[in-house]
Amino acid sequence: MSEGAMASATRLTPDELHGWLAGMLGDKRVLAAVDEDGLRVFRSVERADQIALPTGKTRWSPKEFLFARTETLFAYSVAGNEVTLDGAPVESAEQVLVGVRPCDAAGFLRLDAIFLDGDADSLYASHRVRTTVVTVACDEAGPECFCTAVGGSPASDKGSDVHLTRVADGWLVRPVTAKGDRLTASLAGVGRAPSPEEHAEAETQSTRVAGHIRQSAIAREWAAILESRFHLPLWETLGRRCVGCGICTYVCPSCSCFDVTDTGSASCGERCRSWDSCTFAAFTRHASGHNPRATQAARYRQRVLHKFSYFPLGHDGESMCVGCGRCVQLCPVGLNVRETVQAVVAAAADGHDAGG
Amino acid sequence: MFQQSQAAATTPAVAETATWQPQIVALICNWCTYAGADSAGTARRSYPASVRAVRVPCTGRVDPLLIVKAFEQGADGVLVSGCHPGDCHYVQGNMVARRRFTVFRALMDFLGLDNRRLHFAWISASEGAKWSRAVDEVTTAVRAAGPLRDWGRTGARRSAVRLPAVPAAPRSAPSADDQRAVGGHLQRLAATLLTEGRVSVVIGYTPGSLPAQMVPAFVTRPEDAPALGWSDRCVNNLSVYLPGAVRQWGKVALVAKRCDVNGVVGLLQESQIARDDVVVIGVACPGVQDDGGLALKCHACGGDAPPHADWTVTPGGAEPGAHPSGASGAVAADPRDALVTYLESLPAEDRWAYWQDQFSSCLRCYACRAVCPLCYCAVCVAEKNRPQWIPVNIEGKANMTWNIARALHLSGRCGGCDECARDCPADVRLDLLNHRLSREIEQRFGYRSGADPAVAPPLATFRPDDPQEFIR
Amino acid sequence: MPSAFQPHLARIVSTRDETPDVRTLRLAFVEPDVARRFRWEPGQFAEFSVFGSGESVFTMANSPTRPEYLECTMRAVGKVSGAIRSLSVGQVLGVRGPYGNRFPVETWRGKDLVFVAGGIGMAALRSPLQFVLDNRADFGDVVLLNGARSVADLVYKDEMAAWQDGGVRVIRTVDPGGEATGWDGEVGLLPHVFERLALGPDGRIVIVCGPPIMLHFMFLALEKSGFTPEQVVTTMENKMKCGIGLCGRCTIGRVFVCRDGPVFTWAQVRAFPKDF
Ligand SMILES: Cc1cc2nc3c(=O)[nH]c(=O)nc-3n(C[C@H](O)[C@H](O)[C@H](O)COP(=O)(O)OP(=O)(O)OC[C@H]3O[C@@H](n4cnc5c(N)ncnc54)[C@H](O)[C@@H]3O)c2cc1C
Ligand code: SF4
Ligand code: SF4
Ligand code: SF4
Ligand code: SF4
Repeated sequence: MSEGAMASATRLTPDELHGWLAGMLGDKRVLAAVDEDGLRVFRSVERADQIALPTGKTRWSPKEFLFARTETLFAYSVAGNEVTLDGAPVESAEQVLVGVRPCDAAGFLRLDAIFLDGDADSLYASHRVRTTVVTVACDEAGPECFCTAVGGSPASDKGSDVHLTRVADGWLVRPVTAKGDRLTASLAGVGRAPSPEEHAEAETQSTRVAGHIRQSAIAREWAAILESRFHLPLWETLGRRCVGCGICTYVCPSCSCFDVTDTGSASCGERCRSWDSCTFAAFTRHASGHNPRATQAARYRQRVLHKFSYFPLGHDGESMCVGCGRCVQLCPVGLNVRETVQAVVAAAADGHDAGG
Repeated sequence: MFQQSQAAATTPAVAETATWQPQIVALICNWCTYAGADSAGTARRSYPASVRAVRVPCTGRVDPLLIVKAFEQGADGVLVSGCHPGDCHYVQGNMVARRRFTVFRALMDFLGLDNRRLHFAWISASEGAKWSRAVDEVTTAVRAAGPLRDWGRTGARRSAVRLPAVPAAPRSAPSADDQRAVGGHLQRLAATLLTEGRVSVVIGYTPGSLPAQMVPAFVTRPEDAPALGWSDRCVNNLSVYLPGAVRQWGKVALVAKRCDVNGVVGLLQESQIARDDVVVIGVACPGVQDDGGLALKCHACGGDAPPHADWTVTPGGAEPGAHPSGASGAVAADPRDALVTYLESLPAEDRWAYWQDQFSSCLRCYACRAVCPLCYCAVCVAEKNRPQWIPVNIEGKANMTWNIARALHLSGRCGGCDECARDCPADVRLDLLNHRLSREIEQRFGYRSGADPAVAPPLATFRPDDPQEFIR
Repeated sequence: MPSAFQPHLARIVSTRDETPDVRTLRLAFVEPDVARRFRWEPGQFAEFSVFGSGESVFTMANSPTRPEYLECTMRAVGKVSGAIRSLSVGQVLGVRGPYGNRFPVETWRGKDLVFVAGGIGMAALRSPLQFVLDNRADFGDVVLLNGARSVADLVYKDEMAAWQDGGVRVIRTVDPGGEATGWDGEVGLLPHVFERLALGPDGRIVIVCGPPIMLHFMFLALEKSGFTPEQVVTTMENKMKCGIGLCGRCTIGRVFVCRDGPVFTWAQVRAFPKDF
């Protein structure tokens, strides 16, 4: 990060940091990465000792706190010929996501672009305004990470409200937005200005971790190239081992497809939206049985092109994928979106190249 | 975010007062119990109004999912009752059902459901008195168990139950030379099969993009055979691809480990593929690494050459035919046994809390279904919407229904490859559910999946003398 | 503020069975204010819902020039459409919309029009057809070519005479084998009947709606007859859930059918990736 930005940081001891985080517990919902018997996920925490800032990612992204797995749109009740609808209760309790990785914070920006563009989705918007994001710069990168290939970085503060960096014996805390200013207001008089050594240490860490990610960049121009290569037979070769399990879409910070269904009886219940996946055959299957995306390879292509072509072409070239690498790591058959993109771009324009 | 309010809307409000009446759903056969209940009714041996009788044409038509739906919709207890064995209007419906109920009961018991909530009975048309008694007993039992408040929940894991540590791997890692040798034999064999036109595709493994990762590969040209490889990271059960590959290519060669062959056998048993469609290349397996350690399924597996193979590949070479030594070769106890036994040793309510935890994280990605070779249905029960068997919502109740449905649908069919558990992003211990049911089926019906393609799967058949001690 | 997913309530005023599985509903909004505000254009659609069953998309089947009621014609094929079928007069369903673009009727002024509708595809063309009837003097020669598998599967049987009187040449056809005794219409698949009519491409717009396979052969026939892709307009029926460009399933490449369509020229359709 630039010198200027770093200048407004405060250096806290681990105890001071912990005190600050614990202080939020009273009036806010605090969401932090928690290890549950080997499964690390963001959970609402009640006690200060549950707030840790572990290295590494959670199994799936924290998007569920803005775009829930299942969310009530409204409740209905039917009595005879009369129907009453009740809008979803609007939650207003402030929530703070603590320990978000830069890739996941970038994911929130992608969701913003999807849900807040034009007529904003009122439910998403209501969760977004009440959420403050505290990011932590990564002090290590996994073999699956490739944020740097899609315009991110392990030290990025994009999408963050307060950015934390671990330094020897302490933390640098830096508000990034007005929301971040509010959240750090309680730090007045706590901590001290970081030393030049600490700034340098943060810089070194950022360079070192970024250096571990040896994945070549996915160029912005590729979005158009990929779109023009929709018809390459190579897609079939690349995608045929996809089993359509949906893991990639459910763990992804920027996947946002959903289903709308009713739950309850004909007399009362709710209409809800729930996560859905473009890798499922049923996603596009018509009632007639006709399926526009008839093969699993076609569905895999849809996911890759949405991330790396369709979305960027509508968003100044910005990739929808933020390079968290979760889908790469968790895909049961080892499909790697980054390599797929590279293979398609590298293929001869007629695409009769062998592939994976 | 509003899961709470949603639960409240779909669960009948149960005031926890002295006036609480248990909600009991009775699924009863039209030909016997229903008539018996009717005679009980007319004879004024009245039964509590809390029993909602649902008339079914035969207990053979009682899919255990109906019982699950009753609980999902708020029942506190369920009673299923039909004709005595031998008296079935459709000759044998109830005896097929008996096996299904056996497995279902085992599953619910393993999940820790209070066994006072689930009851089975054979009650004929002339047994009005038995019906009245059964209803009284069931009502008393369910009343004692109290309202069923926690059928499925969402959110953080709360249970303190932790599975015991698994003993150290009994098998040492295979040598790099051996692995390379097997890889080389696979390449040559694949090239030969393709060149001679004996198959159109060879499904094997090739290095993936992460360190040491091996991933599925489809080789259709002999010149691509060198892409194939072998190591103890060849975790996937490639038989998941078989039905589709046979449709696409015709003849398929499949690289298969001992445990993967169970999937092939299952597909043959259920007529999803024909024996001639597939050339099974069995690899004498060194055990695979999962999450940095030897996969649990491998502890007790001797790594014997797979049965039912058309070719057997060992570091020494590729030979036609199957060459299982036949010796059990078990090198250690199956740790899944110990884990299942441990869970069974816990009080039911602890087990219940444990599984509620497990299911609470389920994302409903359906990876467990996608990677299972025996989940081949063109339209899965989870996609059926008339009726909506599995609610679409990703929350506690629906997660329960899905996970129970999955376990039941695989019971008597699962070959124990543990792919579902390996891939589950939420770490749901699907392997233990499957293992528990396989054990039940082996103990009760003497059946082991994957042994013989010619034998009928255990839940598609019955014996008149199948055990039924749980049926009143 | 209620979310965009919360529908208006509309009461079934009357129903008419078109075929054994197709019914036309006439709806009136429960709130007078909504009834005043809810305006649509030919070709637009809405999400119709049965509470407890869910929602599905259907085209508004009447023209905005006849705004007293909202009409739609639905074929019962699945969960929601089946549930709608089972509602009776007086019952209430949910309607949210209108969504999507519309037929560019103003660019058709002075031109000759051919409407080609296969099966339930007729439902989507009724609104623009009524619009043309209600502004008949603005358009040239108007032909409606309507086909179905069998005589029993033809919709809007009761309205054809009025359309004919209103200045539309109505030609009806059924697939070979689908004729019934007394059938005086054509027998043959729509593309063949279209070719037999020998309608030249000059100054003509063709509006086509029907199942994917019919569209495919219709476009071949149109090409053969010398029509340019710009002269042909169609409406796409991809599966949808939200109707507002969010849920992700109706997409064809970068295009959201719900937001950018459902009405497209054949020129646009041809440029789409083959993902529909
Ligand atoms: C823009 C548009 C206009 C349409 N207009 C009409 C019309 O006027 N009359 C008519 O009879 N039909 C019309 N259809 C088709 C109609 O939407 C489907 O037949 C209907 O959604 C089937 O829903 P179902 O719940 O009964 O079927 P199920 O198979 O039970 O559907 C389950 C879910 O899938 C979705 N779905 C399934 N098939 C389709 C499909 N082809 N298109 C969209 N969603 C689908 C629905 O959202 C439904 O909730 C139109 C479709 C579109 C996209
Ligand atoms: S596409 Fe994969 S790597 Fe990219 S953001 Fe989503 S899960 Fe992460
Ligand atoms: S790409 Fe991988 S994770 Fe995604 S659906 Fe296919 S097999 Fe599953
Ligand atoms: S159980 Fe393990 S060792 Fe045995 S064949 Fe399967 S993967 Fe190999
Ligand atoms: S794989 Fe795991 S998370 Fe996914 S549906 Fe199955 S049990 Fe749930």
